Amino acid sequence: MKIPVSWVRDFVDLKVSAEQLADDLTGVGLACDGIETFGSEAVLDLDITTNRVDAMNMYGVAREAATFYGLPLKPLDLSFPEAGAPSSESLRVAIEAADLCPRFSARVFDVRVGPSPSWLKDRLELAGQRSINNIVDLSNYVMLEMGQPTHAFDLTKIRGGVLRARMAEGGELVTTLDEVGRTLTAAVGVVADAEGALAIAGVMGGASSEISEGTTTVALEAAYWNPLLIRRAAKGLGMHTDASHRFERGADPAAGPVSIARFANLANKGAMGTARPALIQARGAGIEARRLTLNLGNIDARLGTSVPAAEAKTTLTRLGFEVTEPDPGASAHLGTARAWDVLVPTWRGDCTREVDLIEEVARHHGLMKIGRTVPASRRAAGLTPAQRTERQLKALLSGLGYREALHVNFVSSSKCHPSQGAVVKIANPLSVEQDALRNSLVMPGLLEALERNQRHGARDIQFFETGRTFTPSPEGPVETPRLALLISGATPRGWAAKARPVDFFDLKRTVEEVFSRHSSAVLALTREGVPPFLHPGRSVVISLDGNPSGYLGEVHPDTIDAFSLKDRPVVAEIAIDALNVREALVFTAFSVSPKWCATSRSSLPRPPTPPRSPRSPVNRRGPPREGSSSSTGSRVWACPPAR
Amino acid sequence: MSSLDDLKQKAHELRERLEGQLASASDSPSLQAVRDRFLGRKAGEVTALFKDLGKLAAEARKEAGEALNELKAFSEAKIGEAEASLEQRLRGSRLSSERIDVSLPGRARPSGSKHPLTLVREEVEDVFIGMGFDIFDGPEVDDDFHCFEALNMPADHPARDMQDTFYLEGLPPRLLRTHTSTGQIRSMLSNENPPGVRVLCPGRTFRRDDDITHSPMFHQFEGLVVDRGITLGDLMGTLEAFIHAVFGKEYPVRFRPSYFPYTEPSVEVDMGCSTCKGRKTGCRVCKQTGWVEILGSGMVHPAVFESVNGRLGKVVYDPNEVSGFAFGTGIERIAMIKYGISDIRLFYESDERFLEQFS
Repeated sequence: MKIPVSWVRDFVDLKVSAEQLADDLTGVGLACDGIETFGSEAVLDLDITTNRVDAMNMYGVAREAATFYGLPLKPLDLSFPEAGAPSSESLRVAIEAADLCPRFSARVFDVRVGPSPSWLKDRLELAGQRSINNIVDLSNYVMLEMGQPTHAFDLTKIRGGVLRARMAEGGELVTTLDEVGRTLTAAVGVVADAEGALAIAGVMGGASSEISEGTTTVALEAAYWNPLLIRRAAKGLGMHTDASHRFERGADPAAGPVSIARFANLANKGAMGTARPALIQARGAGIEARRLTLNLGNIDARLGTSVPAAEAKTTLTRLGFEVTEPDPGASAHLGTARAWDVLVPTWRGDCTREVDLIEEVARHHGLMKIGRTVPASRRAAGLTPAQRTERQLKALLSGLGYREALHVNFVSSSKCHPSQGAVVKIANPLSVEQDALRNSLVMPGLLEALERNQRHGARDIQFFETGRTFTPSPEGPVETPRLALLISGATPRGWAAKARPVDFFDLKRTVEEVFSRHSSAVLALTREGVPPFLHPGRSVVISLDGNPSGYLGEVHPDTIDAFSLKDRPVVAEIAIDALNVREALVFTAFSVSPKWCATSRSSLPRPPTPPRSPRSPVNRRGPPREGSSSSTGSRVWACPPAR
Repeated sequence: MSSLDDLKQKAHELRERLEGQLASASDSPSLQAVRDRFLGRKAGEVTALFKDLGKLAAEARKEAGEALNELKAFSEAKIGEAEASLEQRLRGSRLSSERIDVSLPGRARPSGSKHPLTLVREEVEDVFIGMGFDIFDGPEVDDDFHCFEALNMPADHPARDMQDTFYLEGLPPRLLRTHTSTGQIRSMLSNENPPGVRVLCPGRTFRRDDDITHSPMFHQFEGLVVDRGITLGDLMGTLEAFIHAVFGKEYPVRFRPSYFPYTEPSVEVDMGCSTCKGRKTGCRVCKQTGWVEILGSGMVHPAVFESVNGRLGKVVYDPNEVSGFAFGTGIERIAMIKYGISDIRLFYESDERFLEQFS
């Protein structure tokens, strides 16, 4: 919010520069994002947090500054003369939805509509508001100054001379000030006259009763609207205005009459209009004053510092809280801790608990004054076995020459391969390109990453990625942590070795390395059930103790074409849950005789001896084909033992 | 019959001949020949002299034996010396012939690396593990209770606007967590040692945002400490220690009041701008303020304890007995500050030119 410093000075005699003010306001929780200067005027850009509606105006900022600097806060000048017939002769108000509108105030003004005087126009401009005409500008000025949104209706356009706060009838139509025709639901509150809706309550006025050059009498309305109903209405209509921003966060229920008086005062001073006698008021649902108990011991206990009671009391009082101390003798006599009874000001709807009062004290005490401590730890901490496994995998694979890739979870459901299971769809996706959660890390994530790299000439790629995949279930989506690998292109070329295309066996070695370190289960590679996006003759399903846990294989030529890939990439994807943290290593004594002796890692039976790896020299035509001697169909073999 | 003198004379001659022949033997076959000629077991001339020993008179044998032994030791030593020196010469010439071009590059091997977000995440985890935190993993798909309601953001709470949420199709109703603060609720609910909690919850989070500084998926970590007597001073000390560990002690840390629905008091944590080093002028990173926001934090709101107690069906975290602090930030944010990365999308594109810089 734009805060011209001169406007704040209207209410507090600041002795500091704009820069110092900005720093100090930041220190009490009104963060300054920047200072702009226009001639002699400095304007602070304050980022007011959503709970502090009371500070979203000049007077609220002045109150914080006055509290911080210990300076007096000047009251708003609310004096004005009255003239003419009583307001109530030409206007009645009625609350027909008590929940919607706990407070409704109005007054009639005789006005001279015209351009705004320069002081009004300039201040609005500094605060970032466009000038419209003097009456509308004044209404905006009052809101920026003291926080309460008001709305000016052309009295002659109010049919039946009545303003009614009620819920809209379903399908009721209203054209708002932005000249948009809107159809309202029964969940939207309105200000209506005898015949229909004039304005959307707490959100925006209507075109039919808008102030025009010909307007001579105005009904100025200032109400307190139910925050929840305003929020739902504004959200439902897709609208967000200065008024709705304040009402939905909780305005000051007592501010209506004050805002009308301030309008009258300024209208009179600027010769823009005169108030007719008597404020018209109506009440809906009751709003009770809030009283809180503050146990003094809790201030120090929560903050971890010592704040003198007198300082806490001064801070709260300056901010508008009324602190009463029950007879201290009585509490001492009863042996109870010292506690205060605190009346919360109407503009501080955000303060609902003792801890909110402690925050007020802390803000103005200064957080930077509180001593910093690190609480003692009572037990040893660390990673879980699963977390250790993931770290070890990342260390192993990056050490083996793989780069870690990482992609967003969102994919296009049209690119998810049906063989990888049903997909979880997003109800409100950003685009159809991101309308589902991935059910595979390889398809399409890693293949698309390969394509992007190939496009700018990076052909020799080794990627790994860990992340979760998602599949629907009756209990909600199931998340499965997975490890995926991709290699493509050629082995590194150098003066000592010629490059050759990478193939199935390069990636198989990595998969074996992963399993030999992280699994004690019997690993089996079978041809049955290989995903269709893989080369049927050059891929396998990975099973652990008979349970399929992933796949390894060369990408199918059709898939290569579909993703516009070059070369012959090889991929693998494994459920990480199938892996476990590297078992505790136990040393097994070996014989001193030169005879070879295995250092077995566990008492598990050794897997059957694997058939010898094909010995044919590695050639550039690709991996060796299966010989005619081997049987067709499925063949099960196991990985070589560890290390 | 030889006399002792003859023998001595012969020994003297052999000694001189050996020296002469060794001087002209320049390779190992000729050295071997010299050895065979003098010390050979069958035909060696020194060996042969020992055979004459028996022909001497008994009284001369001792003296002759000593002379022959001396000759043998002398020959062994001389031949050994010559062999060693030859060996040394040969090794020298081998070493000079084996000279390689050390300026050639090392044998090529693919170079791997962890993702920069992994580097930051592991570093952050290790700092907090050092301060007694456990690492807590929560689900990416969660529900309204854990993501909002239990965090003091009931339906229609304005703070929900700050986190535009992705919802999933189908039932039961599920959403993608908008923050790792869900870990606060989940760690308290599953706590095996209540009421003490000290966890760091890193992970993926999701919001409906997509531009140069926002990705619909990004990473956060959330921390939670709950115990008897935890104070705002503990929050400040812990987070200052964290910032100093990750960025360096030279950066000042600033704490200022802020607002989050699930903490009270709420505290925003800034650190001195690492780009302009506090000079402010013209710095776009800190918008000339000298400070960058690094963490959101605060004391756990009593309403959060109350919702957890409600779900547990008993008062495990009595807000009058225990207190705590929570904090959170984006892992990308830390990585962007630490490595000077300005476009968040680079993290997710797996561009080799990006990844290789983190080897």
